[in-house]
Amino acid sequence: MGQLAPWVIATAFLVAMPWIFASNSAITIMNQMAITIIFALSYNMLLGQGGMLSFGHAVYMGAGGFMCMHVMNMVQDQGLPLPLPLLPVFGGLFGLGLATIVGSFSTRNAGTVFAMISLGVGELIAASSVIVVSFFGGEEGISGDRTYGLPVFGVEFLRQIEVYYLIAFWLVLSTLLMFLFSRTPIGRMANAVRDNPERAEFLGYSARWVRFYSFCASGFFAGIAGALFAINYEIVTEENLNLGLSGAILLITFLGGIGVFFGPIIGAIVFTLLQTVLSLQTELWQLYVGALFLATVMFFPSGLAGVLMMHVPAIKMGKWRYLVLPYVKTLIPAIFGILGVSAMVEMMFHARHAPTGDEEMGLFWMTVDSTSPLPWLVAAIISVVCFWVTRRNAPELVAAWHMANTPDGGSA
Amino acid sequence: MTMHASNLTAPALDIVGLRKSFGKAEIIRGIDLEVYKGERHAIIGPNGAGKSTLFNLITARFAPTTGSISLHGQNLAGMAPYQINRLGLSRSFQITNIFPKMTVFENVRCALLWSKGYKYSFWNIVSRSQDLTEGADAVLEQINLAGRRNLPAGVLSYAEQRALEIGVTIAGGADVIMLDEPTAGMSHSETDYIVDLIRKVTENKTLVMVEHDMGVVFGLADRISVLVYGEIIATGAPEEVRGNPKVQEAYLGAALEADH
Repeated sequence: MGQLAPWVIATAFLVAMPWIFASNSAITIMNQMAITIIFALSYNMLLGQGGMLSFGHAVYMGAGGFMCMHVMNMVQDQGLPLPLPLLPVFGGLFGLGLATIVGSFSTRNAGTVFAMISLGVGELIAASSVIVVSFFGGEEGISGDRTYGLPVFGVEFLRQIEVYYLIAFWLVLSTLLMFLFSRTPIGRMANAVRDNPERAEFLGYSARWVRFYSFCASGFFAGIAGALFAINYEIVTEENLNLGLSGAILLITFLGGIGVFFGPIIGAIVFTLLQTVLSLQTELWQLYVGALFLATVMFFPSGLAGVLMMHVPAIKMGKWRYLVLPYVKTLIPAIFGILGVSAMVEMMFHARHAPTGDEEMGLFWMTVDSTSPLPWLVAAIISVVCFWVTRRNAPELVAAWHMANTPDGGSA
Repeated sequence: MTMHASNLTAPALDIVGLRKSFGKAEIIRGIDLEVYKGERHAIIGPNGAGKSTLFNLITARFAPTTGSISLHGQNLAGMAPYQINRLGLSRSFQITNIFPKMTVFENVRCALLWSKGYKYSFWNIVSRSQDLTEGADAVLEQINLAGRRNLPAGVLSYAEQRALEIGVTIAGGADVIMLDEPTAGMSHSETDYIVDLIRKVTENKTLVMVEHDMGVVFGLADRISVLVYGEIIATGAPEEVRGNPKVQEAYLGAALEADH
């Protein structure tokens, strides 16, 4: 069946990934990525599917993580026969429980009221994490040992790769369930309520109950993501439920695109790569992520997935070839222009923040003197020239775009 | 059951002593109206007569100041729109009110979900439910939009969106259909088309229709009520109402006032 193909390919891909990227750090990044994907998809059940803008979604992930950690420690203390791979269920159920309580009053309205309540609840629970020490462990959080139990089919979860496959299993299962949820009557009505709550009420559905069910389901999957985080890192702290993470998941989801189911997956992958790979290169990585987010919101409100989907008609008509050359001619200079600007930003940061006397800095593959005018001049010239070329070639891209999206026989 | 017995005798809609004020302004000033089961009833009146307010009172968008509204003998006081809908009343909106991002087919399918018993289920996949697909396609056939099935509803022409609006309104199988100025903003030919469509889809149902223009409802309605300044000044068969001097005066008077 054609519908199954993407799932089979994705699963095979997940199975194969550790062979392609075998280093421990790569597997750590992939684990983080998978957890973020589940979290972002659960967030999009609210934002994209249900039209609920939440500023406190990390609460449900954090709650699931803490619960999973407590269960892990309890099972270890009591020697209960509960294998590690089942623990995410408890994280999910705890996220579900918390979402049921909060959702019972927050889903009465969407829009500003919902957003404000989510912000309030997020702040409330983040604040209580330093007060209720027995559950949240105060500032140092709660830690545990995932290798507590008897081996499951010979797997002890000592190695990262074993945890990778555990997380990958839950990733596929959660993604599949969330996808199917969007195809159920309640999932379809979540879209309807998002677009037009008044109309939905006159189709027999209470907008509030529809939002409530979506909210609970979303809390469940966020809880699973939290539990996987707990298993992966063996520590959960206040950072796993604070407003910073709630803001980050909004950014990730929007960056990927809220209008398409797989959008948040792209957002999570891109963001995790920036967070891990780019942060090793520069201290200013968050600045670049911020700029990328801003550019997305302003120019591509449908996100990275939306940009991909824009190309579907051209590909279906077999006219994507017209786009290749114009893309090369505009995007490559644009990339160099951006690199030129970022070189200047990095040099400015270095010149302002490095200790006096330390004038040398690594920039891309070079070592430059951030106080001498030459590298500044070179970076500035590269930027100006590259942006000029981009601008000059842009009309060609626009024309090619029209051509690629005009069916044969039709006149533009 | 007693409930059933009352259903047999009670009018489809029974409005008693209905009043509605917004602040000091009384918009609906004491309305009594019975809509019989199976009739097509039009409520007409000049601009500002309170037609839309009356419509919104019946469909629980507003709460009455005093008075009661009953559907099949059951008092609607305090009910939410979705509860009223489940009792068998469905409404359209004056401003086209569909789900613009969904396809035409999905719009109608959403309208079928509750009445087909799917409720809040999260264990069914809608695209696998044959009854939903067939039901939605049958409605599309009825409103002549089968050819537009897979287009996003937002790209349809205005008249097509109005037709879809009617399709969504009737799809759930409600026996009382309320339409709020379904031909507003349409050309003559489009109006004729929509009126024919309304006649077709409300066969064997109770229709309550608010309309500004008496001409539109003349061939369609079994009875007409004329609403002027928050009161019903006449109710009766179309011919009777048209010949009523009070109606003529009210329409002429309002038309003159509107000119100034």
